[in-house]
Amino acid sequence: MPDPRRLDALRQTLAHLDAKAGRRQQPDVLPLGVATVDAALGGGLVFGTLHDIAAEAPAEMGAAAGFAAALAARAAARAIPSRPVLWIQQEVASFEAGGLYGPGFSAFGLPMGRLVVLRVMRTRDVLWAMEEALASGALAAVVAELVKNEADLTATRRLSLAAAEADTLALLLNHQVSPHASAAATRWRVCAHPGPRDAFGGLGLTAFTLSLVKNRHGPTGCWHIVWNHHERVFSAATSGGVVAAAFDRPDRTPLARSA
Amino acid sequence: MRRLSTDRIAHHSPAPPDGPLAAVAPVKGAQRLTAVDDEASRLGLVPGMALADARAMYPALAVVDADPRADADLLAAVADWCDRYTPLVGLDPPDGLVLDITGCTHLFGGEVALLSDMVRRLDKGGYAARVAIADTVGCAWASAHHGTSSIVPLGGIRAAILPLPPAALRLEAGVAEALAQAGLKRIADLIDLPRAALAARFGVALVRRLDQALGREDEPITPRLPPPTYVVEQPFAEPIGLERDVLGTLHRLAGRLGRVLEQHGDGARVLQAALFRTDGKVYRVRLGTSAPLRDAEAVTRLFGDRLAAIGEACDPGFGFDLVRLSALVAERQSEVQSSLAGPDGAAELAHLIDRLGARFGLDRVTVPVARDTHIPEYAVAAVPAHAAVSHAVVAAPVIEQDSRAPARPIRLFERPEAIEAIAEVPDGPPVRFRWRRVLHEIAATEGPERIAMEWWRDADGHALTRDYFRAETRAGMRVWLYREGLYGRETGSPRWFVHGLFG
Repeated sequence: MPDPRRLDALRQTLAHLDAKAGRRQQPDVLPLGVATVDAALGGGLVFGTLHDIAAEAPAEMGAAAGFAAALAARAAARAIPSRPVLWIQQEVASFEAGGLYGPGFSAFGLPMGRLVVLRVMRTRDVLWAMEEALASGALAAVVAELVKNEADLTATRRLSLAAAEADTLALLLNHQVSPHASAAATRWRVCAHPGPRDAFGGLGLTAFTLSLVKNRHGPTGCWHIVWNHHERVFSAATSGGVVAAAFDRPDRTPLARSA
Repeated sequence: MRRLSTDRIAHHSPAPPDGPLAAVAPVKGAQRLTAVDDEASRLGLVPGMALADARAMYPALAVVDADPRADADLLAAVADWCDRYTPLVGLDPPDGLVLDITGCTHLFGGEVALLSDMVRRLDKGGYAARVAIADTVGCAWASAHHGTSSIVPLGGIRAAILPLPPAALRLEAGVAEALAQAGLKRIADLIDLPRAALAARFGVALVRRLDQALGREDEPITPRLPPPTYVVEQPFAEPIGLERDVLGTLHRLAGRLGRVLEQHGDGARVLQAALFRTDGKVYRVRLGTSAPLRDAEAVTRLFGDRLAAIGEACDPGFGFDLVRLSALVAERQSEVQSSLAGPDGAAELAHLIDRLGARFGLDRVTVPVARDTHIPEYAVAAVPAHAAVSHAVVAAPVIEQDSRAPARPIRLFERPEAIEAIAEVPDGPPVRFRWRRVLHEIAATEGPERIAMEWWRDADGHALTRDYFRAETRAGMRVWLYREGLYGRETGSPRWFVHGLFG
């Protein structure tokens, strides 16, 4: 006669394993809100994996940081219960491309009350902190900003493993395009795109050119997208089209592709 | 209430030469001895003597310049070390320490054992000390400086100080001489004199010092370090040096501390581990936590991170013979929190912030908090995340949203970067600019947003008004530019800066 308590414990373990396996089969995703991009990604950016974002050129760091901030804002907005975003920055990064500016994040769709900033000296500190932060599961997103491309295959693999533990969006933000191989699920190159004008010729919503150069689960591609910081949603940009239309009817605008 | 005290440390030179030694410093234009060693003292040299006189008496006298700061540092280091006997260690500059060992003696096997242990350890470190235990600070001081008996028995104060000279009462300069001129050469001579007459002739301080020595007046010790709320410690007969052993010890201590905290319903907010090295050096590792904490595992992990981050700076040398863990600040910890099963996001976040803070420093984990000002660089403050909860929330000033684009950049340069910009009219928006040696053509601008320096931040009155522009280059890059100075009114040739990058 087996011990009923032991049987019960075994059943619970099995259920736990099943749940884990089930989660792996149907991973949670963060859709960008642009049908074409989401289709290429298989629904959106997968939680539990690492995503690598690089600025196409040093001057494009604002755009790359903007894209990362937009993704973090989306992740933070859907996290229930509310969880903050940790942004890890090397000291030298603030000299290169400016320090993180809270009011700007608030204006960009990520309220600064949800932002925790960690400033460290060395690259290895950034990686250590990111690994710890991912393992804790207390955050909606972790953005680790690297000035030099020192995250090699080993480092990214470690980070991917740490990311798999929790449903945290893991973003690596590189100041320049990295020559290293990476274990990241997706790799993006970002540069700014001339944004749409408003009716009076002033600045409109923020626009990016995204190049998806690596995608483990689908095709790569290149898109122009616009970030609506009020609604926290991306939409496809029309080159030179009327902006208001693009932002009201994101899905119907034709996909602009460039080589 | 047992008052207790002091030892006296003979000054030690860094590189001891042979023969008698004295430290000198210029006093009122003349080189005078400030300290002498045993040998010099036997030759009749005393502090305060002019160097010329001392040289005349003993030409081979070795002389070093006095270094009061080094003396003070040394005294502080010894005070740190004395922390092993009692948390209440006060400084008695320039060369004394006052320890309140009330209730501590039994830990060392009684007063005699404590005293001999202290003298033996100090002697091993090369410090000659005179130590006395007495009921009052004054009496202990007198016995240590002028007396013979090192432990004044309970109620024996009067008998102990009677034969001592009045200088033993810690008198101000000149008073002892005045007493000597009056024929009062021992405390016995003046102890029964009318107080009013004594005070009138030699000052109130004399009477007060007498009262303090006799215990008629209370004399509190000002501890150098704040006494911790909760302390646990572990002494070792054989010193430990391996990090694994230190962490293991901290884990055991954290378990004990946790139980004590739990009994009192408290959790630690500031923790300190003190590692006492055998040669007298004391390392203090301090940690803050963002929520009251008593879990031994968590505490150990925090210290593990911290010690890993300190690394080389904490050299075990020949090992540590005492490890102490104290909760410097404790707060009520509600039981509800710890009994709630399941993952609690807030607790996990607090723990993560603690770990990051332990490794990198608590001031490096920050949250941006709005300030009520329009000056961009002051509009936000980085508040340490562990303290952010208690931080007052100030409503940010409303920035007029006159555009579809965000009004503020996501990245701000701490030092705005100077650029060469060309505008069509001197007070108009720029049309192109050169930043970091790259020429950018501007496709669209919004602005100006005029921000004047607040007068209370501008002590010199030189700060110029800034006109901010949001600009998008032809390539799509968005920057936050400003022109410093109003053309024609504040300056003839306004300069341009890049202050931030938009997303």
